[in-house]
Amino acid sequence: MNKWTRRGFIGTGVLAGGALVVGVAVRPGNQVGKLRGDVATGEGDQLVNAWVKIGRDNTVTAIVPHCEMGQGVHTSLAQMLADELDADWSKVTAMQAPADGFYVVPDAVREFIATWSLDAPRWIEPTYNGLFTKVSQLGDALVTGGSSSVRATGQHTMRIAGAAARQMLIAAAARKWGVPADEIVTENSMLTHKASGKAGTYGDFAEAASHETMPQLPPLKDVSQFKLMEQGIQRLDIPAKVNGTAKFGIDAAISGQQLKYAAVKAPPVPGAKVETIKADTAKTMPGVLQILNMGDFVAVVADGYWQAQQALNTIEAHYSTTANDGLDDAGLRARYAKALDAAGDKGGKVLAAKGDAAGAFNGAAKKVTAEYQAPFLAHTAMEPMNCTAWVHDGRCEIWTSTQVPLMARSAVAKALGIGAGDVTVNQLYLGGAFGRRLESDYAVQAARIAKATGYPVKLVWSREEDVRQDFYRPADTSRFAAGFDAGGKLVSWNNVFTQLHDPAGAWDASQYDIPNLSIRHAEADMHLRFGSWRSVDHSQQAFFIESFVDELAHAAGQDPFEFRRGLLGKAPRHKVVLEKVAQMAGWGTPPPAGTTRGIALVKAFGTIVGEVVELSMSGGRPRVTKVWCSADAGYVMNPDGFTAQMEGGIVFGLTAALYGGITLKDGAVVQGNFNDYPMVRMNEAPEIAVEFINADTKVLGGAGEPGLPPIAPAVCNAIFAATGQRIRNLPIMGHFA
Amino acid sequence: MNRSATALLVALAIAGCSKPAPDPVEQIVVRKPGDPAVTVPTPAARDATAVGKQAFAASCAACHAVTASAPAGVGPTLYGVVGRKAGTLPGFAYSAAMKGSGLTWSGEKIDTFLANPQDLIPGTAMSAGAVTDPATRQAIAAYLTSLRNGG
Ligand code: HEC
Repeated sequence: MNKWTRRGFIGTGVLAGGALVVGVAVRPGNQVGKLRGDVATGEGDQLVNAWVKIGRDNTVTAIVPHCEMGQGVHTSLAQMLADELDADWSKVTAMQAPADGFYVVPDAVREFIATWSLDAPRWIEPTYNGLFTKVSQLGDALVTGGSSSVRATGQHTMRIAGAAARQMLIAAAARKWGVPADEIVTENSMLTHKASGKAGTYGDFAEAASHETMPQLPPLKDVSQFKLMEQGIQRLDIPAKVNGTAKFGIDAAISGQQLKYAAVKAPPVPGAKVETIKADTAKTMPGVLQILNMGDFVAVVADGYWQAQQALNTIEAHYSTTANDGLDDAGLRARYAKALDAAGDKGGKVLAAKGDAAGAFNGAAKKVTAEYQAPFLAHTAMEPMNCTAWVHDGRCEIWTSTQVPLMARSAVAKALGIGAGDVTVNQLYLGGAFGRRLESDYAVQAARIAKATGYPVKLVWSREEDVRQDFYRPADTSRFAAGFDAGGKLVSWNNVFTQLHDPAGAWDASQYDIPNLSIRHAEADMHLRFGSWRSVDHSQQAFFIESFVDELAHAAGQDPFEFRRGLLGKAPRHKVVLEKVAQMAGWGTPPPAGTTRGIALVKAFGTIVGEVVELSMSGGRPRVTKVWCSADAGYVMNPDGFTAQMEGGIVFGLTAALYGGITLKDGAVVQGNFNDYPMVRMNEAPEIAVEFINADTKVLGGAGEPGLPPIAPAVCNAIFAATGQRIRNLPIMGHFA
Repeated sequence: MNRSATALLVALAIAGCSKPAPDPVEQIVVRKPGDPAVTVPTPAARDATAVGKQAFAASCAACHAVTASAPAGVGPTLYGVVGRKAGTLPGFAYSAAMKGSGLTWSGEKIDTFLANPQDLIPGTAMSAGAVTDPATRQAIAAYLTSLRNGG
């Protein structure tokens, strides 16, 4: 059995108290003392289970195992837990789970299990040496990514924790009052027994509840019973972000320590080493404390960040040569073309095959072929990469913004040659991440510098370093061949591309009912480091696939919406989303004078999203004036948060589609800052309307990434409608310079 | 994020056996935290007047103008101050201490004055502007001297 059942989850949720936190149960008598102090603080506080803490003062703390990077996850997860608990929302707070290995994200681990086809009973293996423990420790599975927080952790852990805690409170009250448990009503963090007139707060029973048995199968609410879920509850982190008290990684301070600052520069071509440095000027510059050649990068430590950066700018470094020193974009594309040529119409690794795509194409009455290209992209999170590190007495403490605190811990431990238990990770708010902070390179740099200096150091990257030393959304080339039969029916879809990363199936086109289909991967090397960039492979695949589908619609002489709809006979949920967005945008009615529309439909991270763009060509340049977005994410837990994620995905994707292009010269990244790697500004931001369809209350889709993929093709399709010009490589503005 | 997560997992498993990252190839310790800053040896290319002009802009320009015709600010204009008798620019309300000091400004006197104005002229109304770094003081003095020389 390698299917994940709900029962399995519940078992896991409960075992999360006992086994998932590596053999440490988190109720009194079960080694609570092993948990870090700030979780188990305060006399009378009881860890009812891993994800919720109820205080004697009747406050409920949701212990959230995901980082807050602007996506509002602390709120939505607390909301899901609090609803099942029947808690009074005004008494609920959220805290970040400490990165000490006692908290893992079960579902992220489940993804490994699923991939490795392991079965559920082994998954919930509770022994210390059990497979799960090994996997979860190895994987350091405290990850925020994959648009997974609400649909996985929220749905399968926080809700169960809330429901279980509620039952334990009821059991404790029933015992004390000597009344049947099923006569006790819970509401607003209060327990009441009507017949006897007895009442008490959750706080009154928190301690007693912790002695109750944790129910194995707490019933979860039905949609009709939701009170907090499905509400657009305001985010808990907003007040601190408005009044300036929120602390981001870059705000880290160590009490009693005067921080020194480090600036770094790594070799421009990946894989090169720093051979020698000339630092004569840097040595004489104000504030400079140390100049370090770390082999793989150069660092300057100074009293202030600016002093460190200015001194670093004067250092002349000599780098070792690499095989890619001469590489530019043309060279890279030639490399890709070679792999694609070699794969031809049948070769490469077959990812999906149905019928005989090549044969059907050869016999087709009408043939359409196209080659698409997407460039490298950098993340450019607003908060620059940074990490504060202090290495002393064989231990290392870091303060940073990361999506993967436990992986950062392991990476730092490994770099310093100490145990993971000797590294403490203090996680602060993330000023944006978009996948960049799934990497721990900057934390490792900070730790190594701090080890060399012996005093605490705050490392801050310049924007140039951020743009040039990223883990990039890969540049890719994708080729399509499609054929129609004499009756005008689409009979063949043949697609091959060079970059295959995550998530599985981002290349899929089988929602469209095409009898012969072949999708293949012709692997070609790239020397820049791969990184998960918001929506990962979907970011380029959606542009390729949904642009080409548009080409096919025009080739067939059909309306792009009607053409898609005609192919969605076997994908009813896709069809509903497509029809919904068309209706929102008034598709079929003439667009306002001077504008055109473009449409695209993509399923990513479990959520189907349709987008229609309204565009004008003012002054010969495209300008997106409106975007309509419909989404089926199963069930939307916080409409406000979900809408914000769709809007954010659209604007982030629009920035990339219009402007995003990292190019290569002499093996190195050319761009360095927002002057040559621009973003969409306020005046270019379109009006966005979002509506969603609640089609499945059990299996949820993600929110952080799915809004992004459809925007690039929708814009390009609208440009085609306006000008007849088909954009087959991005960024768009490269065609209108 | 399946595959990257898996890849990471595998990478970690492999990484678990590899050696820690190497220590610095080269470590230049310029000074220890808290130690006074190294005196900046004026590079030949940067002449003292230019350095002085910059330092003046940072430390003095808030109160002093440097052109003949400029109206007095908090302090008097310092155009032509070198060679001038202290406290004698017409139209500026000097303190009694400055007026009675009997000094004539030279490069060295300005240097001494800036080290601690109250030491040289106890009771002067110049409440800010002391410069601790001797090289910077000399540079400012050179700059003020250059003003008189038609700079
Ligand atoms: C906060 C304002 C302020 C700053 C800053 C300041 N000064 Fe002054 N300065 C004054 C005042 C007021 C006087 C007049 C003092 C008196 O009458 O006692 C003065 C007087 C002087 C005089 C004597 C002028 C004369 O006509 O006799 C010199 C020379 C001088 N300042 C140089 C400097 C230099 C060089 C700096 C920067 C390093 C500086 N000052 C910074 C306010 C300032």
